[in-house]
Amino acid sequence: MGAPSRRLRLLATTAAVAAVVAAAGCGGDGDDASGAKKAYAIGFQGPLSGENQQLGINAYNGMLTAVEAFNRSGAQPFTLRIVASDDQGVPEQGPTAAQKLIDVPDVIAVVGPVFSGPAKSSEPLYSQAGLLSVSPSATSPQLTDLGFTSFYRVISPDTVQGAAAADYLAKALKANRVFSLDDRSDYGVGLSASLEKALRDQGVTVVHDGLNPTKDYTSEATKIIAAGPDAVYYSGYYAEFALLVKALRGKGYDGEILAGDGSNDDQLIRQAGARTAEGVLLTCACGDANSDPRAASFVAEFKRVNSGVRPGTYSGEAYDATQAIISVLTRNGATATRTSVREGLRAVDIPGVTKRIKFDERGEVSDSTVYVYEIRDGQRVVLGPTSTLTKP
Amino acid sequence: MGDPVAQLAIDGLTVGALYAVIALGYTLVYGVLQLINFAHGEVFMLGAFGGLYAARGVLPGGDGAPGGLASVGLVAIGIAAGGLAGAVAALGLERAAYRPLRRRGAPRLAYLISAIGASMFAFNLAGKEFGRQNVPVPDLFTNGTLLRVAGAEISTQTVVIAATALAMLLAVDHLVSATRLGQSIRAVAEDAECATLHGVDVDRVIVAAFVLGGMLAGAGGFLYAMTFNASYTMGFVPGIKAFTAAVLGGIGNVRGAVLGGLLLGLVESFGGYLLDAAYKDVIAFAVLIAVLLVRPTGLLGARLGRAA
Repeated sequence: MGAPSRRLRLLATTAAVAAVVAAAGCGGDGDDASGAKKAYAIGFQGPLSGENQQLGINAYNGMLTAVEAFNRSGAQPFTLRIVASDDQGVPEQGPTAAQKLIDVPDVIAVVGPVFSGPAKSSEPLYSQAGLLSVSPSATSPQLTDLGFTSFYRVISPDTVQGAAAADYLAKALKANRVFSLDDRSDYGVGLSASLEKALRDQGVTVVHDGLNPTKDYTSEATKIIAAGPDAVYYSGYYAEFALLVKALRGKGYDGEILAGDGSNDDQLIRQAGARTAEGVLLTCACGDANSDPRAASFVAEFKRVNSGVRPGTYSGEAYDATQAIISVLTRNGATATRTSVREGLRAVDIPGVTKRIKFDERGEVSDSTVYVYEIRDGQRVVLGPTSTLTKP
Repeated sequence: MGDPVAQLAIDGLTVGALYAVIALGYTLVYGVLQLINFAHGEVFMLGAFGGLYAARGVLPGGDGAPGGLASVGLVAIGIAAGGLAGAVAALGLERAAYRPLRRRGAPRLAYLISAIGASMFAFNLAGKEFGRQNVPVPDLFTNGTLLRVAGAEISTQTVVIAATALAMLLAVDHLVSATRLGQSIRAVAEDAECATLHGVDVDRVIVAAFVLGGMLAGAGGFLYAMTFNASYTMGFVPGIKAFTAAVLGGIGNVRGAVLGGLLLGLVESFGGYLLDAAYKDVIAFAVLIAVLLVRPTGLLGARLGRAA
């Protein structure tokens, strides 16, 4: 009596809870009525909560667009569903979020991680589990140097963005003195290092500083202004960048203010205020689908799926990452395994909405165009690719 | 720009004045209950959202920030609404998390746990209701350099924050030292039982201390959000800082809280500039420890009203 039966009851309760959790995880819209078709799941890992959640939500919506369009077409012998795992964009949550996806047997591949920090902490688990992950947006250069066997990304590393941004600063903005500030995250440090190296190569004086997200940028702004730079470049995410811009402009700094792709979201304008953010420049190895005529059908589909919301930063990249996985699945038909999908991705060569999706042996996407955005009248406007903007 | 000393001093005093405003809430409650209200940071946060939504609600549409009298009115509405929201939050907190325990004569530790619980409840509820993104206070006036003093740029916003904080600090000091309510608060702080015998309604005084502290924190939250945006987690760090300020000056001592706040702001501002902004908090807490080693009761000594 006692112990065994209690253990049994505990087991039953655990199983019941697990079943409920699993059912909840599937989401309400999974119609299992079709039955006959094989159902694959694609995992999503990114920040769906936390102060930089918007970038994760942008990516998730892009993925959802691809999956919905696929399921509606019904042309293949399988259907797809998404299993989302929230890593809050912080490294500490990465492994838990990854393990959650690894533990779901029918997750065949993952779109994500969205941020570089969680990518660095999650990828060892994915590599070990042999589960493919295609990141729409993790740009830290070191990610493809750490020996991960299942990491691919559809965006150029920050070595590319840093060099292009340096080019733009030196040639188009003719800056002689640049203050480079990073947020000490894996992403920020990677980007600022690439930028600073490229700037020094161009003969530009660089003042470097690193600062963990702090909210209070008043003394940092004083420090920046005292250094007398022509331009400030921030390598970090929009929630902090918005406050930095506010602090700098509040102190009368009138030089150029720039930031990288992590700050490239409309939330920046909202959080800094349109007037304060006016004239801020952003670099990103990502084009703007909304103003690209070739992406018009993607934009239309995205709006349809996401109740009228426009694609944001990384939405197109996540859509392309999902399409790359779908193209492998299509080739494999109903017999795909985690291994076959991982190996199949190397051979992918499809026209994406953001760029041609084709990977080199390290998992980097071949296209490397970097665009400059400017905030004008409360809108992010694409100025063009750095290659054309820096032409004399 | 030349020497940033004046700039750093002004920035430090501005944020320090805000710390002082929040610190008063800790000190007032400590004075009457000998307890640290660990949910005070959440009162501050809720005040920020209260002020923000009120300001947004009455803000006329159209481009550009309003000017002149409209700006003054809007800022006043934001501060008042922030204060009101803070007072309501503090009142609710006292009713839900403190009074039931007080009725049962619960041990000190129980108050601490119930305050932490209330704090978690409040900020998670705020995250759910107000979203988990940072939310900016809309532009209520055109912020720019208002005046230059000794090479320092003083923005309109700095003046608004510093002036409001100063006015509140003076008002509270007057209230505690020269009014009947202040007299009751001091009496309860000195000896609650004796105060009861002299006809002071201790429950009422405790509520008054919470409401007063809540009003200050709420209004301070709104002022803080003008610079740093509001978010559901915004209460934590300023809450700890203000607590530090209160202890630094002497917990339970109104003028001590003000002194502690201003000092902490200055130390942070200069420390962040001279060493590294990332060490700002380290410096602040190092100063606290150093002061407590020499003067365990804080700079001006503990106790409301008179020295212990």
